[in-house]
Amino acid sequence: MTIQSYWQLDVAEDAARSEPGARQSELFRDVRTPAFNRYDYYAQVAQAAAQTAFDGLFLPHRPQSDDSGIVAAAIARSAARLALIPEFPASAGSAVYAAKQAVSFQRQTHERLGWAIASAAGSAARARDGDHVPEEQLHARTEEFLAVARGVHAGQPFDFAGQHFEVKGGGFQAPLNRVAFPKVFLQGESEEALSLSARAADVHLFAAAPASDLRGLIETLDALAVRAGRSVAFGVIQPVLARDNAADAQRYAESAGLPGAAITGTYAEVAQRLADLAVLGLRHFVLAAPSSLEEAYRIGQHVLPRFRALTERVAAAA
Amino acid sequence: MTIDFYWRLPSHGCHGSLRDTAYDRGDWSPTGTRNIAPGLDRNGADDGFRYVDHLGAIAKAAESVGFIGGLIPSFPNTDDPWVISPLLARETKAFRFMIAFQPGFLNPVHAARMSASLQRATGGRTVFNIITGGGGPSQLWWGDSFSHDDRYGRTTEFLDVFKGVWGGEGFSYDGRFYQVRDGGLSPLLAREEIPEIWFSGSSDAALQSAAKHADYYLSWLEPFDQLTDKFARVKERTAALGGEQKCAVRVDLVARPTEEEAWAEVRAGFESLSPERRRQARGGPTDSVGAARQQALKPSEATRYDELIVAPNLWGGFSLLRGGPALGIVGSYEQCAARLEELITRGTDAFILAGTPHLEEAYRVGEEVLPLLGRRESGVLQAAE
Repeated sequence: MTIQSYWQLDVAEDAARSEPGARQSELFRDVRTPAFNRYDYYAQVAQAAAQTAFDGLFLPHRPQSDDSGIVAAAIARSAARLALIPEFPASAGSAVYAAKQAVSFQRQTHERLGWAIASAAGSAARARDGDHVPEEQLHARTEEFLAVARGVHAGQPFDFAGQHFEVKGGGFQAPLNRVAFPKVFLQGESEEALSLSARAADVHLFAAAPASDLRGLIETLDALAVRAGRSVAFGVIQPVLARDNAADAQRYAESAGLPGAAITGTYAEVAQRLADLAVLGLRHFVLAAPSSLEEAYRIGQHVLPRFRALTERVAAAA
Repeated sequence: MTIDFYWRLPSHGCHGSLRDTAYDRGDWSPTGTRNIAPGLDRNGADDGFRYVDHLGAIAKAAESVGFIGGLIPSFPNTDDPWVISPLLARETKAFRFMIAFQPGFLNPVHAARMSASLQRATGGRTVFNIITGGGGPSQLWWGDSFSHDDRYGRTTEFLDVFKGVWGGEGFSYDGRFYQVRDGGLSPLLAREEIPEIWFSGSSDAALQSAAKHADYYLSWLEPFDQLTDKFARVKERTAALGGEQKCAVRVDLVARPTEEEAWAEVRAGFESLSPERRRQARGGPTDSVGAARQQALKPSEATRYDELIVAPNLWGGFSLLRGGPALGIVGSYEQCAARLEELITRGTDAFILAGTPHLEEAYRVGEEVLPLLGRRESGVLQAAE
């Protein structure tokens, strides 16, 4: 199985960039109309990722900023080829309606949509979002959500009577039923999250962690999936910082407030560390760095080719 | 006094002509010799185009002739307006996207976040057509098990929450259908304008909900006296609550240089139908009051197109030729403009127009009919003020 690389488009990063409200034009003549806005920046990040041969974009759910699904659709037609994986909470609404939106997206974009279901927020955050499903039912709700969405997509008539969703005589007709269901990405490190993924995920995305931790999680999920008679692909959301020499990398790392699990180093070092993760069985790499546009070029131009060369060697050796 | 004119985007497939019931633009009908089928080249291979390219062409045509925006319908078998709108946002300049949706299908807080994002993406070009009545038993197709009147209660609460969180952080709500604790959009999102809300529904429950939350009350075209009464009732009810309600009509047109040409088009469409198709088109059972009112307009066994003329320039057979409302306007450019002006004098503040095929008719109506409005010697528009 080939390795898929995604660039993370985080709408909360560089929040002032291309934001009309952040403009100051007292001295120079600013001819930008309000039609030039933040979404031009999102499209630029997408184009950068496409031009540097990433396979897709991962758009995390950021409740304080733009909705990832709207951003994904708004930029879909200005970036060819890229898979678009918006993350959203399972509390977003009806599973049938979500599936219908997904089908439309698939139809219009040559099946480039993926679905990332966000890990459950804490109870206060959920109450702010009007989500009052009890804690102990959250995984069951996500499982039902996916069962219903896949069910109405797979054919008609589809009936379902669960704890959270009820459907009678559902299912899409032509031409809506001619596209593939989006690949489903789930996350989480808890026992419940892993066991849900074993039953319902296409890809499980781990948070960045030391290789030894990831190895354990992969083995656990693999065993659970085998028991469920399924196979789940593994991925990781990995912050990276790469520069062309070690001193620069070190200096930027110190000034950048990177998460502890970030991989930092020269292009060759970062590529090697990613290849080490691939050896564990990870096949989906969501790479993330602040200053998303410039870093997309940097990682896409310098790290990805090295990473590919290394993983092709791994595959050949295996 | 200015009037907003919208044009429908056919997210349910598009006919090339009123005379042909095949959806020959897009992939709703099997590919035929006349079919413009985005997605397939002459050998049946993927050509890179998709149906949204056709919708984009219609949106650009409509905005270029002066329509303010377009309604994007939502039925079980349509492309979804929440997807189509952002896909076309960056390819249009002024076109407003009127998203039809049933509130019960979305979490209101999430919907507010999506809407504010779409406002940011479009520079404030989002409009809502809130649908609540729906299709009775077929609501379970959507996974919705609430009864008719409960759905209006839910819609009212949905809009309470939607507007409440838009007011900023620290919003709490304790309703029958929705509860929110200390929620609200972030300042970045909350500074966008709340989309204009268009509201459909003919029942008492609908009118009550509309009076509280709607900017525009939207109706299918009905015989003019009936529509006048309905609009008067809506406006009165809203005024009693201390509000002001604008009213809008959604109507299909067949506008041609002469009346004869317009009726010839309708006649050709009618005569292309099989008797069986004419019977089918009466429609199935529904708990939608508006749909039932439309069904009551249709004779069960019309054998000639002109048996369906219910008033000068009003034809009750449109639902035979395509899905949707039965009544539409047929006439010369001047007659169509006159009928629209008559509707304005009877309390209509905005229109959603449509014609088949959507692309060509957008030009025809936008270039030939709309410029006549308010310019006739009788000065109907001035009289309405």
